[in-house]
Amino acid sequence: MNGETLLAAMAAILAGSAAGAWFLRRAWTLKTGKAPWRWGGLALLGVTLVWPVWVLGEARGPFIALTLLSIAAFGVIVPGYTLRPAKTGRAAREGLAPEPAERAPSAWRTTLRWSLAGPIGMVAAMGLGISYAVWAPGEMQTRLLIGGLIVPLAWGGAMAWTLADSRILRATAVLMGTAIVGFGAAMLKGFT
Amino acid sequence: MTKTKKSPGFPSPDLVRAVLKGHSGLGLAFAALLYLVCLTGAVAVFANEFLRWENPGVERMETMSAEAVQTAYRAAMNRTDGPVEHVVVIMPSDDRPWPTLRVDAEDGTRTTWIADSAGRITGEVRESWTHFLTRLHINLHLPQSWGIFIVGLSGVALLSSLISGLLAHPRIFRDAFHLRLGGSRRLQEADLHNRIGVWALPFHITVSLTGALLGLSTIIIGAIGLAVFEGDTAKVYAMFTPPHPAEDTRLAPPIDLRPMFASVAARAPEGQISYLVVEHPTEMGAAAMFAVEQGSSRLANADSYAFDRAGKLYYEQKAAQNNVGQQILGSLGQLHFGWFGGGVVKIAYALLGLGLTYLAVGGVNIWLARRRDKGRPAPGWERVWAATVWGQPVALTCAALVALFTPSAGPLIWTWGAISIAALGAAALFPPVTLSRIGRAATGAILIALAVAHPVLMGPGDPMVWIVNGAVGLIGLGLLATLIGQASMFRRTLQAA
Repeated sequence: MNGETLLAAMAAILAGSAAGAWFLRRAWTLKTGKAPWRWGGLALLGVTLVWPVWVLGEARGPFIALTLLSIAAFGVIVPGYTLRPAKTGRAAREGLAPEPAERAPSAWRTTLRWSLAGPIGMVAAMGLGISYAVWAPGEMQTRLLIGGLIVPLAWGGAMAWTLADSRILRATAVLMGTAIVGFGAAMLKGFT
Repeated sequence: MTKTKKSPGFPSPDLVRAVLKGHSGLGLAFAALLYLVCLTGAVAVFANEFLRWENPGVERMETMSAEAVQTAYRAAMNRTDGPVEHVVVIMPSDDRPWPTLRVDAEDGTRTTWIADSAGRITGEVRESWTHFLTRLHINLHLPQSWGIFIVGLSGVALLSSLISGLLAHPRIFRDAFHLRLGGSRRLQEADLHNRIGVWALPFHITVSLTGALLGLSTIIIGAIGLAVFEGDTAKVYAMFTPPHPAEDTRLAPPIDLRPMFASVAARAPEGQISYLVVEHPTEMGAAAMFAVEQGSSRLANADSYAFDRAGKLYYEQKAAQNNVGQQILGSLGQLHFGWFGGGVVKIAYALLGLGLTYLAVGGVNIWLARRRDKGRPAPGWERVWAATVWGQPVALTCAALVALFTPSAGPLIWTWGAISIAALGAAALFPPVTLSRIGRAATGAILIALAVAHPVLMGPGDPMVWIVNGAVGLIGLGLLATLIGQASMFRRTLQAA
């Protein structure tokens, strides 16, 4: 693929993404008659993510489109900013997300919570990833790479869960069980 | 008439509050690390451009002949004391239009040379800034295995924050296009944090997932080896790398690469050799592996050919026949650094990377503003955070300035470390607003000095140098302009009062 084709394709992606985001913004600002703009915007964004597969490559195309879509969306959002007066008081606070939950301080619960989010979550995620690599069908390299991708995803999920869940013993049991079952299953079969 | 209780739906307010608690705790625990890793990552997208900036006078070329590579590789070997373990030849490419030859000696020393189109060595590559920047991003200049693990851990923390951030954002569609600036600091920061977080989510997931996998790969492979290969991790690596020829340590003349170039040209006439690795070049068991780009639209599009000393092909792997795992492996680095769509994607990656950096900054700003709103301000932390946020650009730009005077990365690490500590020390003396102004003024001034001093000290040459210096100078001017704009706005407010 030559440079001109690449640049033309990128310009088209930026234009399609910006138009799609603008349609969605129009739907967002309207009180009635949102549906045509919303569906039009979503369709435009969908098409903009799909057509680069044939022009730029089945993996390269969508990744370029996803990257440029974010830039185009900011191009639509930023000019629509609103400048608020210095003192907005209660009205501003109403637009805020809820307050985080308050927990009674407890040293052992905090230690256990961070242990679950850290090392125990890591071991459980590895058990999951390795047992996938061992038990899933397919080529060895594919199983290993997908198993490898499962590890940070599962660890990140475990981190989010254990730091939020107030039932900490349940989280402990689930993560330790996952680690034992995951590694046990992997060792039972071995890598073939 | 009976009143029916309306279900709160998903996510319930209690779940949102609980997830927000975890999101906030995790973000605060990793804020400084995430900020540093994201900031250096956003700048490191341009690693190849910086390498050209550091070596402006090098002869540029589109290709290099087999004869020239052979001459350069022999010359590089001759400049090395003692036996040589590997020679890695990176061929000229669009991103870096000149070749480098890295010689790894058996005693652990590693030297990288630059050659001209005739294969003459023109000197050692100058890479103090590029090396400093990329290693700060990859392993924080800590011992390799620990540093990479910590950076990988920050990738996991980022992924976790993305998950909890989405769950904790029940107004994701209602606020999709809100960008309310001014007024309540907390609302402004929350809008910036949420809009950047949501609209650039594919990018955030891509870089955090690939970064986490790259960072944790050693430990994951170790665990796989332990669990299913009785601790033998070499078996895991062997699945992804070309096999080695039979070991034969008897001494021999350096392996001749020319017949292998001819063989590669015959097998892939349209291909372009991107790099080659020569293993144990002065042993009978020597081998050479060629990576050949086929110019296809695949992300991982390099064919591999491995030859033994006699020039006999003993391994061949075509990119077109790669399985999904090999394709993912070959794509990880490109997807992480944004090296898959030319200059436009690099610029987009740098901008989105700065957005990700701002997520780390804004998260702490929201926490600080929330405390202030609730009448429990944390002025000490406000100062420390302002010093951290504005100390890093100053430290990094100073390191870049030092790179003009030394080819070694050591002084850059010391400069960066000393200025980072000094910035934290300044937190004891100045309020956050002053720290931010000092940081912006210093970064802007140093960037302009860098853009002016570079051509004077290093000389002109590569057109890329002008682009880099121009961009650096403009960013510096932009930072100073924000200060001047703020000062004039302040003056107008005073006059109005």
